[in-house]
Amino acid sequence: MSGDPLRSIGPFYKNIPGKERSLQFAYYNAGKRGTVLDIESERGKEVFVKLCTNADILFESFTPGYLDGLGLSFDVLSAVNPKLVQTSITPFGHFGPYSAYPGSDLTCSALGGFLYLAGVDNDKPVRACDNQAYRMAEVYAAVGSSIATLFAQRTGIGQFVDVSCMEAVGMALETAAQCWDLEGTLRRGRGREAGSATIHPCQDGFVAIVAIMGRNKVMWEPFVEWMKAEGVEEWEAFDNDNWINAAYRESKEGYDLFCRIFERFSMKHTKQYLYDAGQAHRVAISPVSNGKDLLENPQLNYHDFWKRLHHEPVGGEVVCPGAPYEFGSLEWRLGSSAPTFGQHTAELLGECGYSGHEIDALDKEGVVYVAKS
Amino acid sequence: MLPNLRKALEGIVVCDFSWVGAGPIATNVLGQCGAEVIKIESRNRPDLLRTGGPFKDGINEGLERSGYFANRNPNKKGIALDMSHPKARAVAVRLIRKSDIVINNFRVGQMEKWGLGWEDVRKINPRIIYVTMSLQGETGPQKSYMGFGVNLNALCGLTDRACFPGERPFGTGTNYTDHVMAPSHSLFGIMAALLDREKTSKGQTVAISQLKSAISMAPTSVLAYGANGDTLGPGGLGDPDAAPHGLFTALGHRKWIAIAVFDEDEWRALKKVMGSPAWAEGEKFSTLQGRKENEKELNDCIEEWTKSRYADWIMNELLRNGVRAGVVNDARGAIEDEHLRQREFWSYLDHPVMGNTVYNRAPIRFSKTPLRMETAAPLLGQHTKEVLSGMLAYTEEEINTLIEEKVLV
Repeated sequence: MSGDPLRSIGPFYKNIPGKERSLQFAYYNAGKRGTVLDIESERGKEVFVKLCTNADILFESFTPGYLDGLGLSFDVLSAVNPKLVQTSITPFGHFGPYSAYPGSDLTCSALGGFLYLAGVDNDKPVRACDNQAYRMAEVYAAVGSSIATLFAQRTGIGQFVDVSCMEAVGMALETAAQCWDLEGTLRRGRGREAGSATIHPCQDGFVAIVAIMGRNKVMWEPFVEWMKAEGVEEWEAFDNDNWINAAYRESKEGYDLFCRIFERFSMKHTKQYLYDAGQAHRVAISPVSNGKDLLENPQLNYHDFWKRLHHEPVGGEVVCPGAPYEFGSLEWRLGSSAPTFGQHTAELLGECGYSGHEIDALDKEGVVYVAKS
Repeated sequence: MLPNLRKALEGIVVCDFSWVGAGPIATNVLGQCGAEVIKIESRNRPDLLRTGGPFKDGINEGLERSGYFANRNPNKKGIALDMSHPKARAVAVRLIRKSDIVINNFRVGQMEKWGLGWEDVRKINPRIIYVTMSLQGETGPQKSYMGFGVNLNALCGLTDRACFPGERPFGTGTNYTDHVMAPSHSLFGIMAALLDREKTSKGQTVAISQLKSAISMAPTSVLAYGANGDTLGPGGLGDPDAAPHGLFTALGHRKWIAIAVFDEDEWRALKKVMGSPAWAEGEKFSTLQGRKENEKELNDCIEEWTKSRYADWIMNELLRNGVRAGVVNDARGAIEDEHLRQREFWSYLDHPVMGNTVYNRAPIRFSKTPLRMETAAPLLGQHTKEVLSGMLAYTEEEINTLIEEKVLV
């Protein structure tokens, strides 16, 4: 019996690899209980069906057809629990020509049209952090499951929810599909139009700036005022209606001139200074944050956003993101430390009606794994 | 009850004041699930996205040609209601009485100015889920700092590592946070409140912070700094647990193929598809560790093979042999992709001005309550009369008076 592959993916606590030391595993699995179960064995299947009998939602990411092959199809589970919602996250979904193929975050991001946008002209695309195709599929799986659960509560009818990573990245194409469909153009990323969603170096990193969009002169004027107030060398060059014209901003001349003047200034200052000073002038500028910047972010700390999760197996703290939303009466929580391998096996089987002797026997037979405390 | 006849959120009514970004994308998904979404605009305050390109045939005229607007607003009903008119509130109140959800993404204070803040709305209808959206929360030293999606991408940590070593960060090339992170978390917050209402019969507020939503989907740089004091460098295209793992140039204009090899079986299969070249049999490439240590040379060798071949041919051959691979589709490639077509990811909806144009559905396939993609984005005020005379039970005479008084514009 093996564990979730995420257990072996770094970074690890104190950079020492170990099954209970993956930081991502600790974050994504906080607030859960965990069991280890061999669902390919006959006794294991019985346990699995019992767990599903009491469940609202079965979340899984098996290869399409795997559970059916074990005799654990949605129809079988649904027969014992008609309200069950089964949500399956797979690279390509449960039907369609690619459904049986293997996929990964990178290949799904590529196929869905998302990666193509992360570059300009003939650049090879870059890739954002944290496996965004998986993240997108996860959030939409959570949304789909909650919608299906509400329906099940109201009607008594559960259902199968098929979430594909390749489709999920289709939510992130912005205007690309419509650019093709309506104008016959194949857009790539924004990022080299002077002052309009560009990124520039500064003393300790980079900043992102949107000083103008479209022909919005009202947006550009505060930027010129800021440059003037800072006494930026050659600021007068910004006080020119050329910049209101997107074609000029996109030209090599316009982009290079913007970078030359702005970066001579930005390189003398920190991202935090540029953030505060620019925002004071109503310019949409922000730091390109790294982990340190985020943990020191005054706004987030004002809200006491970061949660220090005591991760029992390493006897230390893992700092995790806090609540993305605040409710009037519901209370958000990160929950307890992520489960160790087999931590709650005995507890969960007990809740399914197994006696201590039966659980010991299943453990000895290798059907389940019970963590020894 | 027959399956496939009901919608998951049938009977849920959304009073939608939201505009531009994350709000309309969230209500778009609710609408696809069968909720009745009533989008409120006015000629004096149209959704700004109506003036954002691309436009049908590239013609930027009027308010009804934007594809940017259209794709976020199908299956909704649009009413024209000028909230700055003193008589508009009474119409909104009638709608709120019929609604389950009221959503806005204005600056704090706007809804209160109209007498439609949470304290007002809960008196009108105590079952309302009242959704607000802010960039960075409604209090704190940077609460009024402004930013667009690109700023938020940078601020939340998504942009920092999205580059090749030695180059400046680029990010996703889009306002990613607006499209995915904020709307998906808004939806989950709304659903949590609706599920809670099943038990309590009471509504509540749901306040979404776009920054916090975004951070929860890009946590690793903080996890690494918090636990180990490490600042993670440029991500490039690599993966610590896979090699090769990257994009390789193929034949044609802006064509690349993504290849991701996570284990030895996949590596053997890749070698076989490449025709077992001698270089690939070298000792240094025989383990994942070796391939990671010699990754640049490995990638160069693979690119040497891909660059004279068609990306789709390579992909098909690799997939058939169990290697994870995918062409880097541009939008046309994604729209024409046979897999997405068969899964009906795209639909073409007919619009009075734009004609039949492309939309995508949410990435959720329900087996018993399929999503609907029925009507194109509404014209501004297209459903004013229908909604007022139907759901809101105004008489024709009352409606005509409200039109003459310039309330319904």
